[in-house]
Amino acid sequence: MSAVALLSVDDIHAAYQPGVDILQGMSLAVPEGGFVLVIGPNGAGKSTLLKTVFGLLGPHRGGIALGGRAIAGLAPHEIKRLGVSYVPQELNTFPHLTVEENLRVGGWTLRHDKARLRERLARIYDIFPVLGQRRRDKAGSLSGGQGRMLSVAREMITEPRLMLVDEPTVGLAPNLAAQVYELLQTARRSTPTAILLVDQNVADALPHAEDVVMMNLGKVKAAGPRAEFPEQRVHALVQECLLG
Amino acid sequence: MKARVPREFRHSAIAVVVATLLLLPMPLVVSSFGLHVLTIAFYYVILAASWNLLAGYTGQFSLAHHAFAAVGAYTSGLLGHHWGVPFWIGIPAGVALSGALGWGLGRLVLRMRAIYLAIATWAFAETVHIYLTADYQFTRGELGLSVKPLYGSVDPLPYYFTFLALTAVVLLFIRGLIDSPLGYFMRAIKDDELRAKSLGIDTTKVKVAVFSISSAIAGLAGGFYGHYIVLLSPQMIDFSEMAKIVVMVVIGGFGTFLGPIVGAAPVQVILTWLQKYGEWNLAVFALVVIVLMRFSMEGIAAVFAPWWRRLWAGRA
Repeated sequence: MSAVALLSVDDIHAAYQPGVDILQGMSLAVPEGGFVLVIGPNGAGKSTLLKTVFGLLGPHRGGIALGGRAIAGLAPHEIKRLGVSYVPQELNTFPHLTVEENLRVGGWTLRHDKARLRERLARIYDIFPVLGQRRRDKAGSLSGGQGRMLSVAREMITEPRLMLVDEPTVGLAPNLAAQVYELLQTARRSTPTAILLVDQNVADALPHAEDVVMMNLGKVKAAGPRAEFPEQRVHALVQECLLG
Repeated sequence: MKARVPREFRHSAIAVVVATLLLLPMPLVVSSFGLHVLTIAFYYVILAASWNLLAGYTGQFSLAHHAFAAVGAYTSGLLGHHWGVPFWIGIPAGVALSGALGWGLGRLVLRMRAIYLAIATWAFAETVHIYLTADYQFTRGELGLSVKPLYGSVDPLPYYFTFLALTAVVLLFIRGLIDSPLGYFMRAIKDDELRAKSLGIDTTKVKVAVFSISSAIAGLAGGFYGHYIVLLSPQMIDFSEMAKIVVMVVIGGFGTFLGPIVGAAPVQVILTWLQKYGEWNLAVFALVVIVLMRFSMEGIAAVFAPWWRRLWAGRA
C-alpha cells in the first residue's frame, strides 16, 4: 500500500455489547484515491468495521484517523462533513421521497450552498441519465439496480474523499452486480474518491480492487496488493478461516 | 435561472386560496353561533396541522402541543392583564416564548424514541398545567384570566375572518415548509432515522427545528384564541385537548397535508353538536371515530386522494 494513508485504522476494538468484541484489534489503511477490498467469512466483523469507521459504533480501544486527524468518537454527521460517505448493505433510499429529494437529502452538508448543490445534481444526472428522467418519481418505484444507483449517486453528491461501501450486490441479479462495480468505478473516477469495499462476492469484486484485506474473527488475517491474492489463495484462506 | 416552485406547493396553494374564497361569504348563510363554531374549528385546524408537521411528517409523537397553545395564550393574556401590554406585542411574545420553549424542550427530549418522547412531553404539559393552576396569584388559576378581546367585543364576525386568514397563512407556510429542504430532511427522518443519520444528517438539529416551529405555530393560534374567548383557564392543558388534536389528525389522515384540515373542522363541529347529549357526547364521538376508521384506516384525506390526483393529472 502507498505511504500516504487517507484512512488509517489502528488496532481498534469495538463491541455491540460490553465484553463481546466484534473487532479485536483490527488495523488497515486506505491510500488517497485507493480501492481497498475487505473480504472474509460471515461474522468476521466486516460490516462492523465500516460502521465503526463511520461513527455508528464507538471503538473502546484503538484509533481511527482520516488524513491524519483522529475521528474515533465523532458522530456520523461530523465524519460525513469531513468527507466520508457510507453506503450500507440494505437498500437505503427513502421510498416516500422522490429521486431528486433523495439526492438532495444526501447533500445535507451542502444545504447552505444552493448553487453548488444544483451544479452537483446536474453532474449526477449527466453521469446517470436514468435518474434524471425519473427525478420526480418516488424512489420506492425504482428497480433494484436503479435503487442501488440512487444510493451510490446520493453519496457522490458531496464528492467524498472516501466511500465506505457494504456488500453492494447483495440480492441483485448477476448482470446487475457487474453494473454496480462499474458504478463504483464511475464514482471513483469522477469524484475522485477512495473506496473501502466490504464484499462477500469475491469473484466479481476482486478485479476492481487495488488492495485486499482478509478479515477473520475481528482482525486481519492477510493483507496486500491484489496481485498477492489469486483466487486459489483466497479459497485456501477462507477454508482456513472456516475450518480453523 | 427562474426559481422553481414545487408542483405540490402550487397545487396546494391554489386549493387553500380557493377554499378561503369559498368560505368568505359564510357569514351570509350561518348564524352567529355557527360562525363561532367555525372560528374555533379554524383554531383546531392550525393546532392539528402544526402537530401533524411534527408527528405526521417528522415522526416525533409529542403530547405537549396543547401546552404550547396555552403558553401563547397566557403570555399575551398575562402581559395584558398585569402590564397593559397590547395584543400586537403580546401575541408575538407568546409565539417567541412557545418557539423558545419548544426549542429547549426539543433539545432535552428529542433524542428519545417513541413512547419515551410521548411521556416526557406529556410531563412537560402537566408541569405547565400545574404551574398555571398553582400560581393563581399571578395566573388567576382556576378563577380564570380575563383577556381583552381583539376587536373590543366578542361578536364572532371579525374573528371569523381573522381566523380564516390566519389558518390560510399558516397552512401555506406549512406547505412551503414541507416542500423546502427542511421538509425533505423531516420526511427522511420519519422514513428511517438511522438511515438519515448514516447520510450525515444532524437529525437532532432537524427535529429540534421542527419542534420549535410547530410549537411557535401553536403559540400563535393560542395567542389569537385567548383574545377571542377572553377568559383563559388551565383547562386549555387538559389531556382531552391533546387527545382531540391527535384524533383530528388521525381521522383526517396522519402525515398528509389535507388530513388535519379535513379532520379538525368536522370533529370540532361534531363535538359541539354532540354537547347537547351531555356526558354521552364522548361515547357517541367514539362511535363516530370507530365507524370512520372502519371505512378508511388512512383517514378522510385518503378518500380525496385519487380525486385530487385526477384533478392535477397532466398539468405542470
